[in-house]
Amino acid sequence: MKIGVLCSRVRVEEKMLFAALQKRGVDYDRIDPREVVFDLGGDGLGRLKECDAMLVRCVSHSRAYYATRWLESVGVPAISLHRVVATCGDKLLTSAALQKAGVPIPRTVVAFTPQTALEAIEEMGYPVVLKPLIGSWGRLLARVSDRYAAEAILEHKRTLGGYQHSIFYIQEYVEKPGRDIRSFVVGDETVAAIYRNSPHWITNTARGGDASNCPITPAIDRISRAAAQAVGEGVLAIDILETPDGRLLVSEVNHTPEFRNSIAPTGVDIPGKIVGYVLEVANMKSGR
Amino acid sequence: MKIGVLCSRVRLEEKLIFQALRERGIGFERVDARKVMFDLSGAMPGDYDVVLARCLSHSRALYASKILQMQGVRTVNSYEVIAACGDKVVTTLALLEHGIPTPRAAIAFSEESALTAIEEIGYPVVLKPPVGSWGRLMAKINARQAAEAVIEHKKALDRSQYAPFYVQDYINKPGRDIRTLVVGDETVYAMYRSSPHWITNTARGGSVSNRPVTPEIDRLSRAAAAAVGGDIVAVDILEAPDGSLLVNEINHTPEFHGAMQVTEADIAGKMVDYVLKIAQETVKEEK
Repeated sequence: MKIGVLCSRVRVEEKMLFAALQKRGVDYDRIDPREVVFDLGGDGLGRLKECDAMLVRCVSHSRAYYATRWLESVGVPAISLHRVVATCGDKLLTSAALQKAGVPIPRTVVAFTPQTALEAIEEMGYPVVLKPLIGSWGRLLARVSDRYAAEAILEHKRTLGGYQHSIFYIQEYVEKPGRDIRSFVVGDETVAAIYRNSPHWITNTARGGDASNCPITPAIDRISRAAAQAVGEGVLAIDILETPDGRLLVSEVNHTPEFRNSIAPTGVDIPGKIVGYVLEVANMKSGR
Repeated sequence: MKIGVLCSRVRLEEKLIFQALRERGIGFERVDARKVMFDLSGAMPGDYDVVLARCLSHSRALYASKILQMQGVRTVNSYEVIAACGDKVVTTLALLEHGIPTPRAAIAFSEESALTAIEEIGYPVVLKPPVGSWGRLMAKINARQAAEAVIEHKKALDRSQYAPFYVQDYINKPGRDIRTLVVGDETVYAMYRSSPHWITNTARGGSVSNRPVTPEIDRLSRAAAAAVGGDIVAVDILEAPDGSLLVNEINHTPEFHGAMQVTEADIAGKMVDYVLKIAQETVKEEK
């Protein structure tokens, strides 16, 4: 059996995944998507096709998106699958999938022009959150507290131009208790959860939020697995908000989660769990 | 029965569609994509049986159809068709998966591997943005120096920083290509688009003439439409020097004012009749 790991940069996470693969004596091949030609329908790329499963760890959503679609075409199971990557990489598609599956989300409205976006914001009431459809680490997330801020940000988004800044994704701001919850779902199991604490409303650990263990209550387990089911299945991180009245809402689902800051507080061997799941998928493919 | 027509600008095509709906006595509303607020937790106002998406903008068509489908409204085309046709990488893979001939293509994620892909396929090649229309930012590349320059310029475009390089074998076509329109299971028309320039889009100055729908063209067009799951799509076909036909691209929101000069077919009427057929099926399913 052979496992492929598709990644451009090798970060702490990828090093941990390589170590977990080595520990189990698994034959693996690290493939840099920048170094290969993805021949559409051609015969090239023996290296990629030889893999029984491909763990996709591309930092760029676009690369993960196209690589998983290509892998689907040649019959190599990707973790996560293309439809999961396509859904989770786009906040609108994620919200739509969650809403359709009945998983609670913050109120969300979409508009296609700055004028209509402004009307939608005022109808929803300040503060609101404006998010780019594609993006990570809390980049270009805007908490909009009044009309002047709304006008300024909408104008900047329009000037940024391009495909994704012309779709306005407006979400109700949830008054959270100085933290949010990130849970990790691998396959159908909620393996760990952390609180991300921050005085800033953007709690990403990449933005300075710090992590502490969050006990996996039945409610957290249920909503995490429901969110994972809604987008497909794979190795996912679920971002959960706690409302002032104690409800849980899913704000985002991440298809290539970073986990370096979540191992120590939870004591869970997250890379080990991921590798275990990848091997399960590979075994299913090779019929062992 | 109520039909929604989602569009921003009303072009000749949309006017003809409205007229065809009126002639058939069908209740319809024009929904201006620029003015709609799509509330994900609410329902689409209007209670439409089918929404015909006629947005010029691919991203509007894509996301509007996704939200409408989530709210239980059937759209023509469906989200899946718009997603597949709007991205040349996905279109190519869908065609290949269905055994439909298409020019050889590859994608690459870095400048170096893009150059490798180009030289593996062999000059001349065409470099295209995976998402885009009207022949914009398409480059025909005849030699290594040109390849290096175009790749560098593409990389410098901030917007496409992470977009893959899509490299396609250049087909030496006879100064023209073929565009057909498939509505449901029927090839409504075929036409030549001729131009001294290798980009034959009418938006780029190509001229049109009628091309009979031969059984071969009919078969290939309908197979290409089926490969992407298409309801109403335009299929771009290239003629190779050896006479074989290759499907190049598929368009999910076809313009057809050019075709009206060369075909007698009632294009808007065919589209509307198809939408009504889908609406009737949808209504029946609900009952």
